Amino acid sequence: MPNVREVRTAAQADQEDVFFGQTVIMWARWSVIVAGIMLVLWTSTNVSLLTQTMPFFLVLMAVNFFLHGRYVMGSPLNRTIVTVASVIDLVLITAIVVLWPGAHGLNNQFYVLYFPVVFAFALVFTRKIEVAYTGLAMLAYALACLLTGTVPLDLGNEDKVLVMRLIVIAAMGFLGNYYFRIQRDRLARAARGDRKTLADVRAGLAR
Amino acid sequence: MSTTQWNPASHLVSPDGKWYWDGAAQEWKPIGQPASEPVPTRPPAPAQPSRGLNSFAGTIRSEDLAYGQTVLVWARWILIGTGLLLSFWSPKDLLTLQIQLAAIIALAFGNFYLHVQLLRGQAALDNVVYGASLADIAVVTALVLVQGGYPSPVFIFYFAAIVGISVAFPTPITGLYTSLVVGLYGVISLATATTDEYPAVFTRLLTLAAVAVCGNLFARHEAQRREVAIRIHDELLDEIEQGASSQPETQPAAPAS
Repeated sequence: MPNVREVRTAAQADQEDVFFGQTVIMWARWSVIVAGIMLVLWTSTNVSLLTQTMPFFLVLMAVNFFLHGRYVMGSPLNRTIVTVASVIDLVLITAIVVLWPGAHGLNNQFYVLYFPVVFAFALVFTRKIEVAYTGLAMLAYALACLLTGTVPLDLGNEDKVLVMRLIVIAAMGFLGNYYFRIQRDRLARAARGDRKTLADVRAGLAR
Repeated sequence: MSTTQWNPASHLVSPDGKWYWDGAAQEWKPIGQPASEPVPTRPPAPAQPSRGLNSFAGTIRSEDLAYGQTVLVWARWILIGTGLLLSFWSPKDLLTLQIQLAAIIALAFGNFYLHVQLLRGQAALDNVVYGASLADIAVVTALVLVQGGYPSPVFIFYFAAIVGISVAFPTPITGLYTSLVVGLYGVISLATATTDEYPAVFTRLLTLAAVAVCGNLFARHEAQRREVAIRIHDELLDEIEQGASSQPETQPAAPAS
């Protein structure tokens, strides 16, 4: 087999990762938006509360419409904008955990919104950036619980629950990025013309 | 460098019969030809589009399952490790602890078997892989039920299980498993939660589904990208071959006498 040059550079591969990964991040964000809007409509007890909370989700929805529109038009956004948008997701979810009327911090049940966001981010970015983002999510949630005074730091049941949730946030990041690295390696071998990969994909195409 | 010895009976073999999976090194390696007898190559089985690891009948999905299974195994180790840690952290009563530990240890043995299979590059049966994921769901559900349904904090382990499933399994099976989890946990939660807690139940179920969609969407995109990469590669090869065949034949200049 002739020695064929690699068809994609590392920079191209990075750009493609962001391009394709954007979809995953956008769908994760849509899930947060849908959950948020449903919750606001469902749990609002007066007009004031509804008008105060809904604009956050409308702004996020507008941002995601823009991002999704750019993606559909085939002009992917750069890495920085995608990262900033993902950090805004974390800020919004932390704000929900801290400020949601009725239950704050550890007692707030909407911490699960961190999971799809962290997982989707981990499927797109390299390990260092993913670790930083996952760490930021864990730190934000831990601080949200501690600063609202819902975790007493006495190694009791509340601490146990907090640790459990933080471990699962970390697991979302780790597993997502682990799979991302497996897939990136496979793609690199496919682009290089690795014989085994060629055989596999041709077999799949011929199916 | 792996010291794994090639044994055709105990390794995954590529569809062309030229490569085998070295689980210890996590690499595909060329099959070493024994001196005495030729390596038997597996004939293709077009009539039976089996997608099992052990059948490995030249479908792209089988390889995806093999790669995704690594994620599944690690997700399960996280579930087991965290479960053990939390079981010993302020246990409530003997019965709960007994059930927790029995379930977690059973899961650990099963996962150890699957991990060893992966490391040795041996084919795990389809049903074992799918059954292990069902066991994950069953264990988490049992723990949720023992701890009172909706108030139980261990439901978050469904997320780790769903992540592995979403990247390892084909879309229909991912949909089936996710529906099972959402349905099962939805029924348990609705039966044990108060009306005020329904928004939280809704959020949990929605995020479970969102994780499954994200994982599977990514896996599908990656498969498409590999196909595109191979097409580009083939086109380049064709161009090279055409370029080589269309070049005019040239003769070296005759040396001056």
